[in-house]
Amino acid sequence: MKKGPDLVKKEQERKKRRQVFTSTFLLLTLIVSSLLIWKLRSLLLPILVGALLGYLFRPLKDRFRVSWLPHELRVLVLFAIVGFSLFLAGHSIRQQMPDERQKLELQVRLKYKLNEKFQQVLGPEGETSQWLGPLKAMIAREAGPAMNQLNGWLNLSKSETELFLKYREGYLGQEPIQDRYFDYFQANQTTAAYIEKPEQRSPSALVPSDTATFSESPEKSATKTSALKEELSVWILAPLIFIFLGFDNGQMRRYFIGLVPNRYFELSLMVVDMLDEAIGRYLRGTILECGLVGLTLAAGMILLGIPVSVAILIGLISGMVNAIPFLGTVFGLIIGLGYALIAEGVVPLIPGLDPNNLALYVIILVGLAHLLDNMVYQPFVLGNAVNLHPLVVIIAIIGGSLLMGILGMLLAIPTVVVVKTAVETLFKELKAYRII
Amino acid sequence: MSTKRSIADKVLWQRLRHWNRSSKDLDRIDFLKTVPFFNSLTPWQLNHVCGILFERSYETNELIFEQMQPGAALFLIVDGKVAVEVYNEKYTTSLAELESGSFFGEMALLDESPRSASARAVEPTRTLALYRNDLNRLSHTDPETACHIYRVLAQIVGDRLRATNEMITSGEIHLEKLTG
Repeated sequence: MKKGPDLVKKEQERKKRRQVFTSTFLLLTLIVSSLLIWKLRSLLLPILVGALLGYLFRPLKDRFRVSWLPHELRVLVLFAIVGFSLFLAGHSIRQQMPDERQKLELQVRLKYKLNEKFQQVLGPEGETSQWLGPLKAMIAREAGPAMNQLNGWLNLSKSETELFLKYREGYLGQEPIQDRYFDYFQANQTTAAYIEKPEQRSPSALVPSDTATFSESPEKSATKTSALKEELSVWILAPLIFIFLGFDNGQMRRYFIGLVPNRYFELSLMVVDMLDEAIGRYLRGTILECGLVGLTLAAGMILLGIPVSVAILIGLISGMVNAIPFLGTVFGLIIGLGYALIAEGVVPLIPGLDPNNLALYVIILVGLAHLLDNMVYQPFVLGNAVNLHPLVVIIAIIGGSLLMGILGMLLAIPTVVVVKTAVETLFKELKAYRII
Repeated sequence: MSTKRSIADKVLWQRLRHWNRSSKDLDRIDFLKTVPFFNSLTPWQLNHVCGILFERSYETNELIFEQMQPGAALFLIVDGKVAVEVYNEKYTTSLAELESGSFFGEMALLDESPRSASARAVEPTRTLALYRNDLNRLSHTDPETACHIYRVLAQIVGDRLRATNEMITSGEIHLEKLTG
């Protein structure tokens, strides 16, 4: 059947109208979505975190196959298993966390040990060596103000001091605080200020007081509480999105692919799949890599004689932070060194190690873990999943931190990986489909 | 195991699934029962397959896929008509005109090799597409169903190979007769 000239003209007009309508609609959608995203930007992060968790949950859901169980029930069972495991993990971590009394002890020990080590570095007064004398004077001049600041933070407030003294006597049926820690406490009371730069002098820094650092006005406190409530209400979105994504059985993907024009249907299937595979590979690889780094650090710390529970805790925290390139190592070093400074009565499992040099061993261990991460774990676990130039990584992390703080740093590299993979895949497939 | 599942299927979930499914899904299942690829699957298996199909609608003369493009999916014609054509520099040869219940582009389920022909909607057409990687994933989540689909695919490819061999043989005989 041949179309008449009128019909052809009408068809052409319809095509034109459709093009105008589609482009106007797309432009309006773009403007409205940009406005909405800007206005609701505080929701972005919880949505992203929820989506990320949902994404991580998916392989677990795919692997949990009970052919006769409907999808919804399967997901519910999995949620229950995951929730219970998380509860158990949280409970055991909480048990390892120091209680009120242990926190006070730690604070006292940390302050005492820090000052002791700093004074060891400075050495006895009246250093006569030609080189060491000026060097130590320079260290005292430069690091002194920072030590004063640290001492200010570690000072026990009035109420904390009272509580410490109560625990010393045996408070709430607990054993009295050991003499050793009480000696530290007494020594801390007499810690003098180090040399300060004139512009940084803050006389209140060393004064233990409830009012100087710990209390704030009621208005300020109320504003803080309402801001916290607002933040919490926004973060409710994360678990909700996680749950909905958990129940999703491909409907979302089908819906979005349904919106793609027929011409790009197969192309969109391929691009979405490749993107999904690349992101999945990267996320799973990163988690495995973080786990391996955490395990290495924990095993190393156990070998250095640090108690198993503390070593596991340090390994866990350092492993988690390792998701942020570079910063993970720094965090591991800070936490490890922090513990090495206050550790007492440590007996290394490796014969020949001097317990007094624990801090040095921790530095070596973190360095080794970093080397292993860069030379073994990353190439084997991640492969080419993150083929990013180090400069891109640094810029992305700084950019992420400026935009969203710590979470921005955490999300920076996955975002760069997603964008890079999306652009690469899209161009490759557009060429394969002879669209460009 | 299979008997146990079928009892559980009948007693426990069939009613629930029926209640949970939209009429669109039920239409699809009824349609799938008529397609050779899926006609011997159980309702449970058909439900799985249904969950991974994409529905696409094409206008008259709209291309479904083009010759030489990488293939990604098999298409089932729900309603309408599709012409399978091979383009040449000078002319276009129509290989077949397919109607409701037929399928095309099945080689895309095996690999990403370029399409050997183009498919064009001759009239407004509704199709269901089965994406290769979804079928691959189905082989992990529901191996029995995926295995059945692959078996039918192997039969189709085998039949075509036999037909091609026969054509070549008869062509050779014809050529021998002509050349004496």
